[in-house]
This record gives sequence, C-alpha cells and structure tokens, in this order.
Amino acid sequence: MRIQLFITCMIDSLFPQVGEAVFEVLSLAGAEIHFPTDQTCCGQPTYNAGYRDHAKSSAKRTIEILTRSDDPVVIPSGSCALMIRKEYLELFREDPPWQKRAQALASRTYELSEFFVDVLGHTEFQASFDGRIVYHPSCHLLRGLGVQTQPLDLLKQVEKAEVISLSPDCCGFGGVFAIDHAEISSEMMNRKLDAIERSDADVVVGADVSCLIQIEGGLRRRGSSIRCAHIAQIIAMKEPGLR
Amino acid sequence: MRRQFLKKAHEALANPTLQKALDQNAERRGRGRERAFSTLPNPEHTRQEAAQIRRQTIDNLEKVLAQFIKNAQENGIRVHGPLSAHAAALTAAEIAKEHNARLIVKSKSMVSEEIEVNQKLEAAGMRVVETDLGEFIVQLRGEAPGHIITPAIHLLREDVAKTFTSELNVPHSTDVAEMTETARRVMRKDFLTAEVGITGVNFGVAETGTVCIVTNEGNGRMVSTLPPVHIALMGLERLVPSLENLAVLLQVLSRAATGQNLTSYVSLIQRPRAGDEPDGAEERHLILVDNGRLAMHRSQLQEALLCLRCGACLNACPIFREIGGHAYGSVYPGPIGSLISPGLFGIEQYGHLSKASTLCGACTEVCPAGIDFTKLLLRTRGEYIKSAPQPAWLRAGMPLFTWMMASPGRYRRVQSVAAFFLRFFPNRDGWLYRLPPPLSGWTRSRDFPPLAAEPFHARFHRLKPAGNGPTKDGEKLQETKTQEVEPLQDDLIVRFQEEVERVDGEFVHCSSEELPHKVAEFLVSIETDQILGWGEQSQELITIMDRIREAGIQILEAEIPRSEDSDTRYETLAGLDQAPVGLTTCLAGLADTGTVILPSGAGLSSLTSLLPRTHMVLLRAKDIYPSFDHWIRAGGREAIVSSSQLTLITGPSRTADVEMILTIGVHGPERLVVFTID
Repeated sequence: MRIQLFITCMIDSLFPQVGEAVFEVLSLAGAEIHFPTDQTCCGQPTYNAGYRDHAKSSAKRTIEILTRSDDPVVIPSGSCALMIRKEYLELFREDPPWQKRAQALASRTYELSEFFVDVLGHTEFQASFDGRIVYHPSCHLLRGLGVQTQPLDLLKQVEKAEVISLSPDCCGFGGVFAIDHAEISSEMMNRKLDAIERSDADVVVGADVSCLIQIEGGLRRRGSSIRCAHIAQIIAMKEPGLR
Repeated sequence: MRRQFLKKAHEALANPTLQKALDQNAERRGRGRERAFSTLPNPEHTRQEAAQIRRQTIDNLEKVLAQFIKNAQENGIRVHGPLSAHAAALTAAEIAKEHNARLIVKSKSMVSEEIEVNQKLEAAGMRVVETDLGEFIVQLRGEAPGHIITPAIHLLREDVAKTFTSELNVPHSTDVAEMTETARRVMRKDFLTAEVGITGVNFGVAETGTVCIVTNEGNGRMVSTLPPVHIALMGLERLVPSLENLAVLLQVLSRAATGQNLTSYVSLIQRPRAGDEPDGAEERHLILVDNGRLAMHRSQLQEALLCLRCGACLNACPIFREIGGHAYGSVYPGPIGSLISPGLFGIEQYGHLSKASTLCGACTEVCPAGIDFTKLLLRTRGEYIKSAPQPAWLRAGMPLFTWMMASPGRYRRVQSVAAFFLRFFPNRDGWLYRLPPPLSGWTRSRDFPPLAAEPFHARFHRLKPAGNGPTKDGEKLQETKTQEVEPLQDDLIVRFQEEVERVDGEFVHCSSEELPHKVAEFLVSIETDQILGWGEQSQELITIMDRIREAGIQILEAEIPRSEDSDTRYETLAGLDQAPVGLTTCLAGLADTGTVILPSGAGLSSLTSLLPRTHMVLLRAKDIYPSFDHWIRAGGREAIVSSSQLTLITGPSRTADVEMILTIGVHGPERLVVFTID
C-alpha cells in the first residue's frame, strides 16, 4: 500500500533516528512510502497556544501538501495526528470549503500504531527486546484519538519483552504549558517519573516524542539510566534513547 | 490575574497538607466514579443519553426555560428573573426582609456563592448559616470552598478539629464521626428556628415545573421543609425537559459527583405547603440567575452550559490535583471553572485559566454532560490572546514560528543555524541543561535534546525499504449491542436488598402477617417509648399501629405549626425532634439504587423520615421497580405532580466532607430500615 509519511517537525529536527525507525517499520509492513519533502509543521504549537490565525496558515499549507495525492497519511505522533484529524475541522468551522478539504484529509489520516493494527492488520515484526517495556499512553493518542490497545498489540508481539502500561495520567508536557506553567508541569512530570522508577522499567515506550522529551528530559535530570523510545524504535530493534 | 494564579499555585504545591488531601480526593473520587458507572447495564449508552438530553436542552434553552417558568408559576412557586448577580442577591435579601428574617439556613449552592448572596443578607443584618458540613467548616474559617462538591477538600481533620474547638467551643477531637455529631447538634436549633431557608437547584423540570434538589446530609430537606419560606437559587441553564430525562440525568449526576448510584436524598418539590399538609415551606420562591449565561449561550462557549456541576472534571484533572481549588481565584475552579469563569465573569480577568491546562482530555473523558473541554479551552485561549497582553516571547515567537514553517527552505536554514548555536549551551551527554529565558522554564527540571545536525528530511533520500512483509485487510470489531431484558420481581427484590445494604441501609423481608410483630419487636429492641408516624391510611397500617400502641409506645403525628403560630413553633418542633424513630410507608422501591420513594400530603409529614435518628419504612415487594425511569413510566409521574414534595431516599444521611471519610448520620437519620412485605 502506498502511504504518505508526515514525519512531524519534532522528529525531523530533534530525533531523525526515530524517523528512520519509522521508515523501517513501515517498509517492513509492506508500505510503499512517499515523503512529501516540502512538509514542515502541522500548526499544532500555534493552535494550542491560541494563535489560530497562524495555525490556519500552517494548516492550509499542510492540507495542500497532503492532498496532492489520495494516499493515506501516516503520522508517528498521536498529537499531530489529532491536530489533522480533529482540530483542523474546528479551526475551519467557519470556512466550509477548507473544512471540507480538512475532512477529506482527516478521513485518511492515521497515527502509526493505529495504521499498523487497524488498516494493515500487521502486528508481527519479529522484534525482540530483552527487558521490561513500560508503555506511556499519551493523552492525545489515548483520549484524543481513542487509540488505546493498538500500541500494546504491537508491543505484545515483541519477543522476550515484558510489557506493562502506566496509568493514563498526563506527563505534564502540554506544549507551551511546560514553559509558562513550568512549576506545575514539573510536578506532574515528577509523579510520572516516580511511577516509572517504581515500575522497574528498562525502557519507557510511547507514540509521541513530545511526551517522551518531557519524560526522558526529566529522567536524565534525575540521573536515571532509564531511557525512552518511540514505539518504532522498539519494533525496529534500535537501542532505547531518543536521538 | 495570571501572576496571582501562579503565586497561589506555587503556595499550593508547597503545602503538604493540601497535597495529601488532593491526592486522596483524586484517587477516591476517581475509583468511586468508575465503580458507580460500572453498575449501569450500559454505562457508555447512559452517558451518551445524558449528554444528548443536555444538548437538546441547551439548544432549545429559551423554550425550555419559558415552559419551566410557566409551569412552576402555575404550581404556586413565585418565580423571579432571570436576574443579574446583584439583582438576584438583592431579591433574596428583600424576600427575607419582608418576612422579618433574623436567621437563614442554607444548603449548598454554588450559584449562591457566585452571586454572593450571604454578603447581601449579612449586610441587611441577618445571620446566615451554611448547613452542608463542608460549607459549614469553611464558613467558620472565613474561607471560600476549595471544590464545588467537597468544599473543605483542602483541610485535614486536624484543621477541622482546631476550627471546631476555637469557633464552637467544643473539646478538641479529631474523630470525624464526633465532629459530624457536633455539627448536627450545633445546627439543630438553627434548622428549627430559621425563618427562611435557601437552597440551590440541581434541576428544574420544564414539563412539570418541578424543582429538584439533591443532598446527602439531609440538610437540603431540612432547609426546604422546616422554615416557612424557601428561596431556591437556580442558574437558568439547570433545566431538563421531562421527568424521564431527569431520571437519566440523576443516573449520571451522583455517579460522576460522589461515586454513589444515587445521592441519599432527591427532593422533587412541586408547590408550597397545601392547606391540609402537615409541613413544607408555606411560600416558595425561585430566583433564576442569568449573570452572563444568556450571553454565553450566544457565544462560542455555549457548550459549557451543558455542565451539571458534578465536579468530576475537578477530580480527574491532573492540574487541580496539584494546585487545588483556591489557586483558580474563582467560585468555579478546575476545568469547568476555566471555561465558565472567563465565560461568565470576563475573559480579561479569567482568560489565563484556559492556559492552565495540558489539554490532556481527562476532564472530557469523565464529563457526564458531554462537554468537549479541550475544544472549549482552545477557543477560550484564542479569545484570550486577543483580549489580554501576552508575554513578549509568545507575541514575537508565534508569528516567527509560523513564518519559518511557511517555507521549507526557511525552516531548514533556521534549523541548521539553531543547531549550531545550541552547541554553545552546557550539556550532559548531549542534552542541554541550562537555557536562557523563556526556555529556562523547561530546564529548571528537565534536560532538553539538542537539534539534530542532520534532520530527517535530509536523510530521507538515503533510506532503503527494509523488505516486504505481508499486508492484509484490517478487521474492525463489531460493536455488540446489549439486549435489555425485563427482570423478574424476585430478582428485583434481591437487587433491591443488595443496594439498600450497600448504602448502609437495613433490609427486613417478611410476610404481611409477620409484619406487625416484626415492627413492634424492632421498636421494643431499641427501647423507645415514642415514635413519629404517618396517618393511618390503610388497614395494614392500622393493625401495625395498634400493635405498636399495645407495646406501650406512643405514636405522634408530626405537624409544623404555621408561621402565624410562631410562638409555639419552636417548642413543637423541638418536641418532635426528640422522637428517636419515624415510621412511614412509601410509594415504591427502586432496585437499581436501593431507593424508597416517599410522597407528601395530608397526614404524611416529611419530618417523619427526616428528624428521627432511625427511619423505618414499609415497602410492598410488588412496588419494587427496576429503576426511577421505570417507576415514572408506571405511574410515578402522577405521584410527582400531585405531591407538594416527593422524596427519593437512598440509605441513611451521610457525609464525606472531612478527608472524604464516610460518616453515616448527619442531619437526617443514621439508620434506615426497610421492611419489605410480600
């Protein structure tokens, strides 16, 4: 199946090796990957900060780029997938022509784990990981998109791994919130980090690098040796740690 | 305002007492809510139904409101408004003045806090007593409630004990049951002597003009039954079109709010005390509060009017859990407060609250009214940035970010320049640990990853597909629909018993021949010589009453002297209050909640089931219905409309206002014994 990969500006700028792992697992599942090279940001950071006009311009640009073909769009982030799937419709609620285009795009946009399980029905990657995988269900993926079991379906196929899930509490990231409500954000993070340390994790796995930056950034600050990994890194059997 | 918020949040985070209390609240309320919803045959379906009812009500707000006002007026309730906060509080004060009120008892009402009615009444020289235990505690301390359902959430029992000792002059005790008993004792005379009672309103039923009030401690019933004048304060959106709809909303309200299947007391007030009735307020006023609601109805925040004020969003919110209610600086804290505070009281003063959220959606997930919080918080943010000055880094940074992202070339150039400069900041294993403002907010507790020297898009052309795995069509799970089967009467009795006992009620099953003996035996066992009883409406009851009298027990029929006989009023009430047991029949039992339904009318005093420590109620097994909804459809509607005040009773009175420790027996009975007769 041909797909369009929307890699997200965060993975592009901060963690290109996560991007490579995403590419690898998509191709392992038989996807023919098209990468629109003029993609940048979906507009979520400005939208969530309240700057809707700015978000609209980024959204229009993204819609233009991703509707040049009718192929499904796969995004290795619950948060960015939610932006395109749900928030674009809200953003253009008073602009029917654009809302219609947004709707068309939304109907064929998937988060990565959701795409594997619900669209391809592909969960077996012959991956293995010798240790305890602690899964962090990110809010936008879980409650925003309703993707609850798919990442776990994929992780449970990983040989030798013991998989447990953290309780679905927010890690405290929240975009700009992490900076302009830094103290509250840090307290929320500390709860999450305490839970991770109690869980005896070998790796914390998630499907959103935004939360994982918060978690790994906090773990590193604490001097912990536990690292995070995007779910694609585990399936592609890369060493944990965001890079 | 934002600075104030951050300051108070900081103080809250540094307060270990508050932190402990907030953790307890979040965990217990969360678990309770889940358990209570799991007892519904199809929880998700019921939630959706409730949300749909709220949606339809708010969609047709003006029509539903007009119908409610018309019907309430026809029932003899004096309706005022919709009014502004100032006018509503003034109206309440004027009504109280007209009746020369000196003492006003009040049950919990958030809208009363919103319009600051206590201040108006006190300014007019009246004493106002908050009778909900949590509200009573915060009133003694001169504080604002910390939570819309659990006002004293921010206090531990030691704090309450200290307050009681200093304000009520009682010996120091940290025993929650003992403190609750103190509150009962202290407030008893106030209930019996107040000239006016003020309550909130949980729902106004449009088709019947019914005022529905939900309380656990029994104080809502006391306040709306004992004083001759009752003033109900109601946000004009708290409407429900029909009684059937009310049944659905009651199913979700208590579950979401306190994790109960149904709150102990649901009062359905139809009209003032009728000529032949033994009690009830002789004059009932309903003050409808607008205070920005109609304007909000026309705004993009309309959906926030769906709110039932259950407080589930506060309990689920990870930020409320960190900072508690007072930091929000509004009567309405937490996620719902971050919508309605700016929506009702102004975006300039409260818009910053919309930013105090990670948009995690925990609030949306638990909301029984179907409010999409993240959508509305984002809309509020959109308004807020236009109406209040923003920090320079956002004002400059957001347009710059968008400008950069509008061109892949620019994006790439900025990326490589930024990657270069970030190398000069201190790092540990490559991650940066000290950055200049505003990013210093990040690095206060977290390291930040470096920008990649070679971003993904520059690597893409080198990537080789890793091989072709098999692909196949995905299968979507079929949603299974649960078929509801009408339960058998025997199963209903079993379920009813389970539920009665689960809410700390007692269940006795007997034949009608055994009944008189069982009742008399029970009364003798608790060594009482006097009980309150209802008029002898049936042969069955006459036989029972005879047996009771034979056992040497006197039966009093409660009747409140009318307000014109105010000289004898207190003495009579204080006398009735001495009876340790009240014996009533009931109209029906509800199996899904263990509820009994009591009417009002000639000879049927509400006080019988309210004042004594023990309430005995006789229920015919054939009158047990699966749910409130079933009962309404099977003739309950007529009973509601024809009773001045009908009461749903679920277990004895209770509170969990101090450290969420359940205490049975507050202002209402501490024992509820249901005799179920075959």
